[in-house]
Amino acid sequence: MRKTYIKGNKEKTFRVLFLYLPIMLFLIFLLFPFYWMLVTSLKTSQEIRMLPIVYFPSSPSLDSYRYLFEQFNFLHPLRNSLFIAVLTTIISLTVSTLAAYSFSRFRFKGRNFFMSLFLLNNMFPTVLLLIPLFTIMRSIKLLYTPYSLVLSYTTFTIPFSIWLLHGYLSDLPLTIEEAAMVDGASRPKAFLAVLMPILLPCILATGVYIFMQSWNEYTFAVLFTNEKSRTVPVALKMLVGSFGVQWELISAGGVITVIPVCIMFFFAQKRLVSGLTAGAVKG
Amino acid sequence: MKRLLNVLLALVMVVSIIPIATNAEGTTLTYWFWADNDKYAATMREMIADFNATNSKGTVIVGEQIPWDGGSYSNTLLQAAIGGGGPDVATFKLTATPSFVNNGLLENLDPFIEKWDKKDEINENMYNVMRGASGTDSVYVMPWNVQVLYVYYRPSMYKEAGIEVPKTYEEFLEACEKLTRDTDGDGVTDVYGFGMRGSNGGQEPWGCFIYANGGTFETLDSEESIKGMQDYIDLFTNGYAPPTAPNDGFSQVIDGFQSGITAMTIHHTGSSAQMIEQFGEDVDAFIFPAGKGQWTSMGDTENVMFSSCEDKEAAFEWLAYLAAGKGQETWCSVTGNVPVASSVQGLERFQNDRFMKVSIEGQSVAGILPIRETTTSWISEWPSIIQQALLGETTAKECMEELQALLWE
Repeated sequence: MRKTYIKGNKEKTFRVLFLYLPIMLFLIFLLFPFYWMLVTSLKTSQEIRMLPIVYFPSSPSLDSYRYLFEQFNFLHPLRNSLFIAVLTTIISLTVSTLAAYSFSRFRFKGRNFFMSLFLLNNMFPTVLLLIPLFTIMRSIKLLYTPYSLVLSYTTFTIPFSIWLLHGYLSDLPLTIEEAAMVDGASRPKAFLAVLMPILLPCILATGVYIFMQSWNEYTFAVLFTNEKSRTVPVALKMLVGSFGVQWELISAGGVITVIPVCIMFFFAQKRLVSGLTAGAVKG
Repeated sequence: MKRLLNVLLALVMVVSIIPIATNAEGTTLTYWFWADNDKYAATMREMIADFNATNSKGTVIVGEQIPWDGGSYSNTLLQAAIGGGGPDVATFKLTATPSFVNNGLLENLDPFIEKWDKKDEINENMYNVMRGASGTDSVYVMPWNVQVLYVYYRPSMYKEAGIEVPKTYEEFLEACEKLTRDTDGDGVTDVYGFGMRGSNGGQEPWGCFIYANGGTFETLDSEESIKGMQDYIDLFTNGYAPPTAPNDGFSQVIDGFQSGITAMTIHHTGSSAQMIEQFGEDVDAFIFPAGKGQWTSMGDTENVMFSSCEDKEAAFEWLAYLAAGKGQETWCSVTGNVPVASSVQGLERFQNDRFMKVSIEGQSVAGILPIRETTTSWISEWPSIIQQALLGETTAKECMEELQALLWE
């Protein structure tokens, strides 16, 4: 009895030392920057520079948030970012789902060439494409409108999304659609009614990837937008000057920026994991 | 038929009037600027509104704030200008001048300055610095505001040491020696004469010593420049600068001065508010004194007009408003930067500020590091090369030869 008790105790200690403790340390390491961002946004500018470091403000204040929305007009870039990210996600998902379906279901000339070409597109450094894209946007009168960003982002997100969805679609047996078509469904109907529900986790995962890419992008956004079409990353960078940083405002902006992504993850996490791993391992 | 003709004629007349009416309303110009904080951005918007309401040509400036982004502002501006969609006028940093001028993006301002009634309000040295930055004999960049490095000192410490404010370089070196004191008699130095910046950013105050000996950035391996370096080493090895000097950066030299560990240090108006808050009247400044030569470092912000701008006269009126008009006064009052126009410099608020006054005096000898492809790497290598010399691992000659090679070869 005593032996079992000791054994149980040892096992518990072992678990605490080698499982819970490392997990806890890892979580602290992972979550501390978020905690610090939140706490900084609640501090006054004096408290931020105070020594010794203040780990929690004596009287947390929402002044930074108030300032961001009332004086800095943060809602405006927030609206722009949301519009751009949602539109990019819808366009990219529609195009890449259809393209991935074609690449996985039809055998046509140049199929492999195009798939390789899609990969090549993502290998170019963004900076190289900046000026040509800028000139194109100017010529087609899209410069300084949100659509210039939507168009630019889709050029990067569509090829990668096609690869992502193609991997999953190739794993799905042809017989599923064939069975539907034997039962009288047309190809579009078979795709929409039979394949789409199965594809949903992967589409969701791809959608989250596209949304995050367009939500956080800065390099294109700073060049292709003006004050009317500014997005959140550019607006936040305005708070970093050559002689100082408005830490309390930038942290508050950071917290607000993270919220939509967190909400998305909260609802999508289960499907996201299965979607991301789908097509990765061929059985 | 006659009625129809009349209507058509009326239409043609209306259409022909439209462009004239638009012209009478004036041109719309896009202006890109960065602001260090929200307050400065709001000030710029007020200035733009003021200019739009008061300018002679009915010009409308549309301000676009662009992030400074650690200096990437210049790259963003360059990419937009090369792509053909940049602004008409923009805030600018001198270091970016060569890449813009070499690509033919900037408008030569010489003809505009030539006929500008306020051209003499700006010190000739400023125009020379602008010419030097472009590598041509023309001014492509319009001066706006600067920060000039000067020496902070504590009058009470001068009084205790029984010395006057140095007027020559030799007197400055003597002051460094005399201000180094063991105040409590325990055999350990308590106050060092000079707060030396041996780490990042130290090349700017260091340049004062090189020029005071007759050296220049162009001839860092000359006898004069080497002598300047030797003086710098001597200040440290003789114990007139804190033992931490080889590793001291901006915070350390300012903290050292504010805590009374050093009696003098070099910086600009950016730290004057905190100095006054700490010492009240017991802090003052002088421009680094002349020896065989004289130089001090200048931080800069300018404005440029792009060659693609369609109404250059209107654009220059905006540049002039910023350089010597109401814009100059407003911006410098809010940001604490040093004005470049003599009419604004002479205003009571600037003349009553002792640090601003010294900065204005220093403008005639202020300059910048040579702008070359090697400058950035030279600046980042500077601390380690200087540290080796201060710690006796290399001689002044070896140190300066290395710096010369790094910058010019």
